[in-house]
Amino acid sequence: MLAFLQFEGRRIFGEKKNLIFFAFIALSSAYFAWSGLHEYRSFLEEKRIFLNLEKEKTSQITSYAQYGAFGFRLLYESSPLNLFFVNSSVLQDLESNIDNFEAIRIESSFKGNKLFLKRGYFKDFAGILFVFGSLLMLYLGHAALASQAYLRFMSRRMSLNRCCCLTTIARLFWLDLFFAALALGLYLLIRLAGVAFSESELRVFLLYLLFLVLVLDFFYLLGQLTTVLLRFRKVFFLWFFVVWFVCVFLLPEMNRVSVFNSSRALESAEKVNLEKFRNLMSMERQFRELIKVNPAAPLDQIKLMQKKFAVQFINSSYLLNTGLETKYLREVEGVIFGHGRQSAVFPTMFYQFLTGEASGKGYYGYLDFMDYIMKLRSRFIHFYLRKRYEEGEPPMESFVKGGENVFRSHSRLPRNYWWGVLATVMYGIGIALLTLWRLRRQLSLA
Amino acid sequence: MIAIHDLNLNRGEAQLDSLSLTIENGEIYFLLNRFGLDFLFQVLDGLRQADAGEVRFNGGTAPGRGSTGAVACIDRVAEVADFETEARLGDWIDFLCVVGGLDRASIFRTLLVCNFHESHLKRKIRDVAPDVFMQVYLAVSLAGDSPNLVINDFIRGAEKGFELKFNKLLLQKKAQGRAILYLGSDIFYASEIADRVGFIKNGRLLFEADAADLKEMDIKDLYLKFLN
Repeated sequence: MLAFLQFEGRRIFGEKKNLIFFAFIALSSAYFAWSGLHEYRSFLEEKRIFLNLEKEKTSQITSYAQYGAFGFRLLYESSPLNLFFVNSSVLQDLESNIDNFEAIRIESSFKGNKLFLKRGYFKDFAGILFVFGSLLMLYLGHAALASQAYLRFMSRRMSLNRCCCLTTIARLFWLDLFFAALALGLYLLIRLAGVAFSESELRVFLLYLLFLVLVLDFFYLLGQLTTVLLRFRKVFFLWFFVVWFVCVFLLPEMNRVSVFNSSRALESAEKVNLEKFRNLMSMERQFRELIKVNPAAPLDQIKLMQKKFAVQFINSSYLLNTGLETKYLREVEGVIFGHGRQSAVFPTMFYQFLTGEASGKGYYGYLDFMDYIMKLRSRFIHFYLRKRYEEGEPPMESFVKGGENVFRSHSRLPRNYWWGVLATVMYGIGIALLTLWRLRRQLSLA
Repeated sequence: MIAIHDLNLNRGEAQLDSLSLTIENGEIYFLLNRFGLDFLFQVLDGLRQADAGEVRFNGGTAPGRGSTGAVACIDRVAEVADFETEARLGDWIDFLCVVGGLDRASIFRTLLVCNFHESHLKRKIRDVAPDVFMQVYLAVSLAGDSPNLVINDFIRGAEKGFELKFNKLLLQKKAQGRAILYLGSDIFYASEIADRVGFIKNGRLLFEADAADLKEMDIKDLYLKFLN
């Protein structure tokens, strides 16, 4: 084994074009990690301005009626690990307004410099390693077995199985070492640059790295298989491009289209909002009817009636609307769960799902954000009704204590992470066995 | 000694009909066929099974993985580019010595006969001249010092200089008592190097002659009769 490690190490790292490619991947991923860091720091600056602005805005509000109408904004803050996955995330920079309106609004601002923030597909650390790493691994997988003549020559000195397996293990050892060292090195550099990652974030990063290495190994084995299937012919780089394109672009895109199609079974969000609006308006109508019946009612009595209606609102139509929203959210969760399960079917599809979740701005991050909004809204509505109708408009007090108007999303792994890992390993084993089987047939029948 | 008994192959163009041959120790037998004999080489190398018949080296060992001590099979090297090209020659030899259990001294003894220059060891395989690579390939193949050699059209396309070095090695091996079976299609080369020559046409061994007798025959006539 040691001889294979030594020989393959020299083969890989003694080749100038390989070194150029390694350097290119290392430099571009370092650039995108640095760019992610820069973006993360800009976000922290924006967040500071946002918090000051919100504080200032609340201090200007004079009554609880105004506070209920204006509400306050809630900012979505992803985990620092997002700097590695800036463009792999599902969500953009998000905000929501917590007020007493029936509809929950989630928005992404494109004002000012945010208009120029979106960089497009794959242009981040995770994307660069995925796109160029897969290309490199395909090529190195292709170059590994050299030719039929070489394998025939080697098979006189050792069994073909042993030769292929040890060559593959030795090459994968060096290549995995390169990618692992690159990713861990950049992680440490970012840490040294002052970004504090929690223990759970380190765990997510390490498990992401494990899957990245497995996906790249999958491409290496695919390169070997393609070479063997095409009988080591010289003119087959078009086939390599086709295989690469299908795996990296086509299948993940088909997966995305598939989840979009299954999401069409969901009721329109506008319909849910309309339903909630109707519930609210029927209550308002009842209140107006009551006022019409007693047009000369004194102010005290009207306030008493308002209070009664506020309690009634909390106990009936608000509960009903919350129930509608929760039900809708659980339906969305069902689609997301199905998407996650479907993604585990193929390594590149799962890689994209995984990077979305690891960024903290994935589908499950969205669900957490929605849950947080609903909890915060519920508390805010209670606070607003209590202050306005029960306590009779005391001096203005901000609802937001501490950093409640910032939602901190966590980097996470998909629930079916280990299934995805298992599926990728099984693909790898299957491809390796198929390669060996075809190779044995070719060498004895050629 | 190489003994082939009633060997039959019947797959597409790879056709042999009851081939029986014995190559004694210290003998070079040249088997000629118009299209070459790659399929027979593969059977002798253990890469392919014959439909019927048997092959024995030194009276016992059959072709296959276990026969490496009994026979050295040297295939034609079509192009250096088809081979392992990324490694340096020196690294490659070191690697083969470790994984194939080859004797390094034996490899360099053969290289010495070929006037191999040490500076080639630092060069990548793809960068060395084809005959330099063939020298190394030959040296590695002969490193096992097997009592039998099966060679498949090895010098086809090689330069004359290399051919002379190769002949020198081959005669050396013959003098050491090795049984050598050479498969090919070059009747002129066969008449130059072999002790006995056999002609295969349409899968059948039609004619056999000693090299001494061959010199008295009209080679052109033999060529037109069996190899055209």
